[in-house]
Amino acid sequence: MPSILQYDFMIRAFIVGIVLSIIIPLIGVIVVLKRLSMMGDALSHSSLAGVAAGLAFGFNPIIGAVVATLLASLSIEAIRKKIPEFSEMSIAIILSAGIGLAGLLSGFIKNATGFNSFLFGSIVAISNFELIFVLFTGLIVFASLILLHKELFFIAIDERGAILSGVPVKSTNFIFTVLTAITVSIAARTVGTLIVSSMMVVPVACAMQLSKSYKQTAVLSIIFAVLSTLLGLILSFYIGLKPGATIVSICVCILIIILAIKKLRS
Amino acid sequence: MKVFKLLFLVLAMGLLSACSTNTVDKSPLENKLTVYSSIYPVWDFTSKVGGDKIDNKLLVPMGTEAHDWEPSPTDIAALEKADVLVINGLGMEFWANSVLGSLSNKNLTLIDTSKEANLIEGHHHDHGHNHDHEDEHEHEHDHEDQHKHEHDHDDETKLSYDPHIWSSPVQAKKQMKIIMEELSKKDPENAEYYKSNFEKYSTEFDKLDSEYRESLESLPNKKIVVSHEAYGYMTHEYGLTQMGIEGLIPESEPTPQRMAEIIDYVKENNVNTIFFEQSSGSKVAETIEKATGAKTKVLSTLESLTKEQIDNGDDYFSVMRQNLEALKEALK
Repeated sequence: MPSILQYDFMIRAFIVGIVLSIIIPLIGVIVVLKRLSMMGDALSHSSLAGVAAGLAFGFNPIIGAVVATLLASLSIEAIRKKIPEFSEMSIAIILSAGIGLAGLLSGFIKNATGFNSFLFGSIVAISNFELIFVLFTGLIVFASLILLHKELFFIAIDERGAILSGVPVKSTNFIFTVLTAITVSIAARTVGTLIVSSMMVVPVACAMQLSKSYKQTAVLSIIFAVLSTLLGLILSFYIGLKPGATIVSICVCILIIILAIKKLRS
Repeated sequence: MKVFKLLFLVLAMGLLSACSTNTVDKSPLENKLTVYSSIYPVWDFTSKVGGDKIDNKLLVPMGTEAHDWEPSPTDIAALEKADVLVINGLGMEFWANSVLGSLSNKNLTLIDTSKEANLIEGHHHDHGHNHDHEDEHEHEHDHEDQHKHEHDHDDETKLSYDPHIWSSPVQAKKQMKIIMEELSKKDPENAEYYKSNFEKYSTEFDKLDSEYRESLESLPNKKIVVSHEAYGYMTHEYGLTQMGIEGLIPESEPTPQRMAEIIDYVKENNVNTIFFEQSSGSKVAETIEKATGAKTKVLSTLESLTKEQIDNGDDYFSVMRQNLEALKEALK
């Protein structure tokens, strides 16, 4: 047994990391197809506002994050409906609101280390409760995404067409919004808000370079995300780097390598 | 609403002063020095020396992590009107240089309480090997020399010296002495008063020092694991070794590698207590507890006391004694 697995906290980190790198890219594929790549950023910053509110006023920061992320994603949807031709603007607006609020509220937090752990994740100190919580919500999110994948894909590609062919667009979108909010919030606690948004987009970008179909893209994104997470955790353990940042950097490196290989071949 | 509050306050003040013989007058009278002290230990020492001759305010609010705190525009404005600013020095106040540089207050006297400390070098926190290297030469510097400890926020882990001087009663006494001397220079009329206050507490420091020495030197274990290296001068003074989960400044969380090192260290040295500080929470400490079976306990850094502690009437000496009890328990 390699020494890395002798440590209980590392085993937990691997479990949580793998669960998240399965569900975040699945959400990411839909988000990318909807042309809302910055969605993860907007949501994670909003979740940070919820965390800050929790830490500042003494309620559970995870609950704060879930509520804030829900509000943010519903607001994005609402603004998007108002200005369909500039849908990406809705994200910028909510992103700004999230950052503004998070910054304001962080002024009321007495100790910044707690807040920092939400920025960069707290993957070395995952409690029993967090582990079970991540596994449980991860399972729910995964199952819902699989069940709804046809509808979600249809809506992502062509929302008007989906409405016309009788897909329950409103309720599907709402469920997706809730799933996204929950995922971002649990991920904020464990891998950090900065990582969530990258995990949503970068593995999907890697997969899109290599695949042609929706299914293939989804599967490949998960593979790339899991690979980056495993490598990132192993590297951070043996070299002493910050785990979250290492994971993201590896993912970006993979993308660069894929692009380079494609360029050489063409 | 405001009017009512004011009326109420005025009435209350009137009543209080009518009932009590020793009135505490909060308004900074012209003969009281307006003093701002950065962190709790220097605030406490300054209050003890200055007594009722100064109006001493604590900058870092109660219960706030001292390493992260930065003055707000309101604080800067207050400093423009202040007579004295007391700081710990050595980069504990990373904001000191830039703030002092931006003030136009010519009357402000800076008291840097680290001038006479036997400094311990700050080491870049790496791979858990702990060398406590003491720099014996009393380094003298005046305020122009402050930039020696220039410390910008992005470079947190690279302090040139360990700033947690007050953790040792011996060094803390020197801090109070500097405060006494500087206050006397600023306000010669009350020099005698400041001196007598200092002398009163000087014996307190000596008493605390001997309590620590007697209690700790006879204990079999010498190694403590702490959340961040805030106890260097204390451990150095009494022959202990601190293993900090984080370095001189708490940032966020240890890397996985650091976590593994700490867990191994705890197991190898049979450390039975992981100390954490109230302000930083115990998540990491609890993870180590799960992995090793060691207990988690609070050891105050004194960087900042909570409101509850202040309301309880705790001060430097009482918290240092609570720490001593915790240390005795852990090192048995």
